[in-house]
Amino acid sequence: MSSPSEQHLVALVGNPNAGKTTLFNALTGENQKVGNYSGVTVSRKSGNFRTPHGRKIELVDLPGCYSLTPQSPDEKVTRDFLTGEQDDETFPDISVCVLDASALERHLLLAMEVIELGRPVVIALNMVDLAESRGIHLDPTILSEELGVPVVPVQANKKKGTLELKQALRLPLPAIDNPKWEVSGNKEERLAARTEFIQTICGEAARRENDGTLTLTDKLDSFLLAPITGWAALIAIMLGVFWTIFSLSSYPMDFIDESFGSLGQWTANALPEGDFNDLIVNGVIAGIGGTVIFLPQIVLLFLFIALMEASGYMARAAFLMDRVMNLVGLSGKSFLPLLSSHACAIPGIMATRTIDSAKERLITILIAPWMSCSARLPVYFLLISMLLPQASSLQQAGFMLAVYSMGIITALIAARILKGKLADDAMPSHFMLELPPYRLPQLGYLMRHIWDRAWSFLKRAGTIILALSIILWALQSYPKPAKGSLAAEDSSLALEQSLMGQIGHTIEPLFKPLGYDWRTSTSVLTSFAAREVFVSSLKITYSISEDIEDEQQDQLLRDALAESTWPDGRKIYTPLTLLSLLVFFIYALQCLPTTAVVARETNSYKWAVAQLVGMSLFAYLAALAVFQIGTLLGF
Amino acid sequence: MKFLKRASDIQADSAMTLAQASVGCSVRINSIKGAACDRLRSMGFCESMEVKKLSNGHNILCTVCGTKLALNKKLAAQILVCPV
Repeated sequence: MSSPSEQHLVALVGNPNAGKTTLFNALTGENQKVGNYSGVTVSRKSGNFRTPHGRKIELVDLPGCYSLTPQSPDEKVTRDFLTGEQDDETFPDISVCVLDASALERHLLLAMEVIELGRPVVIALNMVDLAESRGIHLDPTILSEELGVPVVPVQANKKKGTLELKQALRLPLPAIDNPKWEVSGNKEERLAARTEFIQTICGEAARRENDGTLTLTDKLDSFLLAPITGWAALIAIMLGVFWTIFSLSSYPMDFIDESFGSLGQWTANALPEGDFNDLIVNGVIAGIGGTVIFLPQIVLLFLFIALMEASGYMARAAFLMDRVMNLVGLSGKSFLPLLSSHACAIPGIMATRTIDSAKERLITILIAPWMSCSARLPVYFLLISMLLPQASSLQQAGFMLAVYSMGIITALIAARILKGKLADDAMPSHFMLELPPYRLPQLGYLMRHIWDRAWSFLKRAGTIILALSIILWALQSYPKPAKGSLAAEDSSLALEQSLMGQIGHTIEPLFKPLGYDWRTSTSVLTSFAAREVFVSSLKITYSISEDIEDEQQDQLLRDALAESTWPDGRKIYTPLTLLSLLVFFIYALQCLPTTAVVARETNSYKWAVAQLVGMSLFAYLAALAVFQIGTLLGF
Repeated sequence: MKFLKRASDIQADSAMTLAQASVGCSVRINSIKGAACDRLRSMGFCESMEVKKLSNGHNILCTVCGTKLALNKKLAAQILVCPV
């Protein structure tokens, strides 16, 4: 007997959409994401609880999989965990197999495979209510006898049966040595034996009656998956989502803007004048404020993506988009990662783990940063409002749409080219996707998930962005001009003599062919750490005081940019320069966290560096082409 | 023995692929061939399972024991079925 104080490891396995994550939440009480798109749970999630016998259990939620022969990186994690091959992990003391009772025949395949591993197994028969309503009569006792392991009926979403399940987690639990079905022979024979056994026990333990009646899901699908109405619905949903994000988020954004503006003003007055005042107001508050302002947009985008996943619509969107993605050699499974990349490339790249084909996954990762993420928005807003000062908001929105499309179209062309260049997979993979029944999303979990995302974004603002803001501030403040010199009176001259000014002048020749002066070049350089820094860098380099209202700042910046000239008197910010900047920002990969994630996900620095260099070079050349060709044409 | 063999021949002759089956029909899986058969089986496309085909097109929609699945036409062509 093991001592009660010892912690035992229990693993949760099951097909995608078996309700594994819901059961995990019901057992541990720890909130976590619930999704319907195959394989949403990608990282190791664990929680703790005590059984009624007082044993301490660590429960690990493994990625959903269909069999223990792994196809995607996700499924490999599950296989390796159960067989004890996962790094730093031991065998789980008990594996809990979660089965969807309404699709028992399919889900039993995996359960039997897990039982064959010869380690202790408990089966949680989930969604018994759904099965009953579909006219499937289940007998857990027969099932338990036939399989040789404890079977506990549960309803994870209503927290029914969780106590019984905890009770079934007796330790030590004997493993079964000889299953009732044939476990010798090669892989195919064993699979055939499993199927045959399933047919027999399902005949006894799960009688199916009124099969063939139309469920609500069927009725919805006949509309949402039909050729014409399906596409209309998809386009309407996508347009609606983006429109809502832009129109709804402006209210909280204005509020954040004003709050940071008045905070800056208040601090500027409250602190004694000097370097410290300057650092706090112009370095810290302005830097963080410039980032936090995107929080509403990011929260809304994540909310919509999570809603589509949890309701089951995301799989339908992938099904519809498969056809379009096929044109460029990708499959519908790349749709979710690419869509998420419009919020932020990082979760988008992490979502590629559900793609079976290694080649397709790599291509999706490589093109994902060309989806315009929310960090580019402030840059787009600034440049477009300068480019089209008199245009109505509708025209500006149309231009914005064109900017987005440019990134998408180039990315898809790049995918097509990469598809031809990269080596093929050893195993050809074809599109196959489970379309889960539509479900009402569980609001509590949804909120928790959004909060996690928002929090990790805020943490970034408090760390990377804060550090960068301080460094930028220091670079543009030092060395201080000598007292009584001309520069001490004129802040823009002081800036030109600072370290930042010197760096800017050094790199100016590199960016001059693109139409950028030293101030713009410096801002572009700083934006390689994070794009959103560009606008605040411009404000700093053009000496727009930070202790006034933000709206006024933006106006002042636009005026300052519009009036700035080259030494010979020509205007710097011509429409052509703005266009060249816009093109540069569409294509450049200016996000160090993305490069770090790509390196981790592709397991090679080679791809991450190649992507960084390739995209930046492409951005440079594209901006160069725009400016030079435009100049030649006489714009 | 000889008779049995002929019976199975006849069954093989009347077999068609899931891609060829008509929409709305319920069919039973006879055999699965090709490279991706492991994947198909683990998704529930196993011998003697009943499948209902829901739609044709670029990707085929069908239900296997209550679960809706979408699969590529090429994959559907690897599944040999016979009418129930």
